[in-house]
Amino acid sequence: MLNCFDFLRYLFLACLPIVFALHAGSALAAPRVGEPAPEFTGVDSQGKTQRLADYRGKTVVLEWTNHDCPYVRKHYGAGNMQEQQREAAAQKVVWLSVISSASGQQGHVSPAEANELTRTRQAAPHAVVLDADGQIGRAYQARTTPHMYIIDQAGKLIYMGGIDSVPSADVADIPKATQYVRVALKEHAAGRPISQPVTRPYGCSVKY
Amino acid sequence: MSTAHAKVTLLADPLQAAPGQTLWLGLHFELIAHWHVYWRNPGASGAAPLLRWTLPAGWTAGEVRWPVPQRLPVGPLTNYGYEKAVTLLVPLRIPEIALPASAQRIVLDAEWLVCRVECIPESARLTLVLPSPHAAGAARGDPTTQRLFAAARAQWPADGPTGGRYRVSDDARTLTLEVPGLAVDERAAVWFAAYEWGPVDPSGAQQRQTAGDGVALRVTVGDLPPSGNAPLDGLLVVETPEHGGSARRAHALRLHAAPALVADGSAGPAATAASQSPALLLALGLAFLGGLLLNVMPCVLPVLAIKALGFVREAGANPRRRLAHGLSYAAGVVFSFLVLASTLLLLRAGGAALGWGFQLQSPLLVALLAYLMLLVGLNLSGVFTLGAGLIGVGQSLGAGSGLGSTFATGVLAVVVASPCTAPFMGTALGFALTRPAGEALAVFAALAAGFALPLLLLSVSPALLRCLPKPGPWMKRLQQALAFPLYGTAAWLLWVLSQQTGASAFGAALAGLVVLALAACCYGQWQPRAWRRVLFAAGASALIVLLLRPLIAPEVAVSTHAEAQRLAWSDERVRELVAAGRPVFVNFTAAWCITCQVNERVALATENTRRRFAERAVVYLVADWTRRDPAITRQLERHGRSGVPLYLLYAPGRPTPLVLPQLLSEDVVAEALESL
Repeated sequence: MLNCFDFLRYLFLACLPIVFALHAGSALAAPRVGEPAPEFTGVDSQGKTQRLADYRGKTVVLEWTNHDCPYVRKHYGAGNMQEQQREAAAQKVVWLSVISSASGQQGHVSPAEANELTRTRQAAPHAVVLDADGQIGRAYQARTTPHMYIIDQAGKLIYMGGIDSVPSADVADIPKATQYVRVALKEHAAGRPISQPVTRPYGCSVKY
Repeated sequence: MSTAHAKVTLLADPLQAAPGQTLWLGLHFELIAHWHVYWRNPGASGAAPLLRWTLPAGWTAGEVRWPVPQRLPVGPLTNYGYEKAVTLLVPLRIPEIALPASAQRIVLDAEWLVCRVECIPESARLTLVLPSPHAAGAARGDPTTQRLFAAARAQWPADGPTGGRYRVSDDARTLTLEVPGLAVDERAAVWFAAYEWGPVDPSGAQQRQTAGDGVALRVTVGDLPPSGNAPLDGLLVVETPEHGGSARRAHALRLHAAPALVADGSAGPAATAASQSPALLLALGLAFLGGLLLNVMPCVLPVLAIKALGFVREAGANPRRRLAHGLSYAAGVVFSFLVLASTLLLLRAGGAALGWGFQLQSPLLVALLAYLMLLVGLNLSGVFTLGAGLIGVGQSLGAGSGLGSTFATGVLAVVVASPCTAPFMGTALGFALTRPAGEALAVFAALAAGFALPLLLLSVSPALLRCLPKPGPWMKRLQQALAFPLYGTAAWLLWVLSQQTGASAFGAALAGLVVLALAACCYGQWQPRAWRRVLFAAGASALIVLLLRPLIAPEVAVSTHAEAQRLAWSDERVRELVAAGRPVFVNFTAAWCITCQVNERVALATENTRRRFAERAVVYLVADWTRRDPAITRQLERHGRSGVPLYLLYAPGRPTPLVLPQLLSEDVVAEALESL
């Protein structure tokens, strides 16, 4: 015969594994496509505060960059990155270039240098966010320059990966490559799901 | 040929072509100090060397045979590659056709990326002339080349055992790799490198697991977790310490998805397409089971036991009416959970930074809960009885009008359960609160369903009722015994209150407690009649409200955390310390969170842990959420939590903090510190 307390005891024992299951889910929280993108607040090269949350309702592109990295030079040298920045701006997409190079590391720039780079390269990002302490880069686990992310109107991450499909430093490869970010923005604007939401980012390491 | 960072040579062995032969070509790199080239999977950044061959007609070059790479850390990132020198060997097949008499030219266009921290892409066109087989005195082979090739072959991985498996964790954040039948020294360092980008994060933590036979390793999932039952190919590298140095072995492995994952994959395309719904289902399941568990929490059990006693008394009564009572109780539970959840969601939508447990951040509510616990306890102790009040539902079950009070019992059960839900349900509720409102409410509903189920079952099934013991004098004793967990809960809530308010407000709350006990006692002695009862309750309440006034606008809490080395948390402070190269441990806690207090007692405030923190110069920060703090709430959210405890270990040079489990032990903390 089961009495009331045996019944409760067995119930308790049966539930113990659940408690452990609840506590087991502890791992590094890497950003994942389909989940809310990590929120961030940063200061751009104009001294303005850039807050991801302020762009709810707009699509946001994050581009990790380092002007001295040969892979970044490939895309800026050929005008590929600037062209995509202009296309994005025309579609009311907010394009933020992020520089996570730590002070003293390759690619680290002062606000004035960042503006000068934008001018001389005829780049057209919405803003250049200076992330010398690497907070934003680490939150997104940005690993390469370039490393690209797209965040939708609701703040959800919808793309992360490379700028295109040919991982080389050779300008001649750009026309042969699938431009993942351009394709993803087009698909998203058309209300379609992103066909390749996660791709391999390639390039130099981010100089945290 | 030499570039700025490397000397590259194209070699062959044997240095002579014969029909039907396979000879080996080798691309040898000699790098200047501190620079490296990459493995087939370069890791977090970088690029593998790219080889393009131009060969005589019919000749074919095979795949590159890659020596086992080193792990190359760059800040928080890890790459795979080679420093100093490496030889990449490629088999070259020569068809079974007569070769022309002339010498044969082999041309290699090689591109590679060479990096220290910064990276330089380099390329070279290398030509190798194989002398004609008829040429007199053709070299059979060059000893230097043969030595280099032999050294390269010694660096190839061995074929590892077959039958290895990998398993994706439920949250899809880690993979567990299991290689049975591989004997590895306990002291050896073991790491896994996947051949391709995607399934495994090269920079992520890898942790050896205890395995009965063979090796098990938990690794961090990369950007593209393995899908379906695709095999996972890679190297398992074993570094065994040996006379000051270390011996390295590597095993080439093909791991297959463990059965559980295969089953998931075969469940249909929906399984991969909608990766969120399993998470929701899991959360619903966990919430349901967690709800079941709540029934036996110390603050709930007494109330439910009394309810169960009511069923004992009514065992012989009309089963239909019993069912009606069971349902009305369940409705009360579900209703109040949903009200709590909706309130929380509404407040959050309004911008208030709240999380689960928010009920306990108001000193007034904490005091009232303590009073409720005391009242229910006094009732159980027999100081006073209620004719048909909340607690005495048992007596009124016979009357049809008792349905309302059964509903109220459900509500009461949830109210007394709420201090227990927050610490135990943190993860599931955290998930719920980061979801759209509909899903969040569904999770709370599942929690409520689990909570209500045991008593509902009792009311439905007479068979279960028969399992309950016969009524007798033991019921009185049990009832009195059950009062004590409630007194305990009241004492704990008062301690929480003492952390939240100043001395005078706390004193007022204690005085209220005495008034309440006196009122209960008087009530029990006089047994006032209907209208006087109302008057009595109103009088006592008024007096208590007067006493509790200081709590409505409480003084700023005086920090009673005496330990001086506890620094208060702020995001900036963490950032500064980590930037300065100090590891930082953050304890997100609250006085009202039992789990947090237990963890501090058994794992954090201990001699061993303090010593370990000191040894590694870890800065210990406390984020105290006893009272509302939007900055802390935001930080909890960033880690997918809606409540405390949360333990984070920041290490300089790691992109994200390590999240420790919600239940700590000294060993768990020590293990986390090992990873620094």
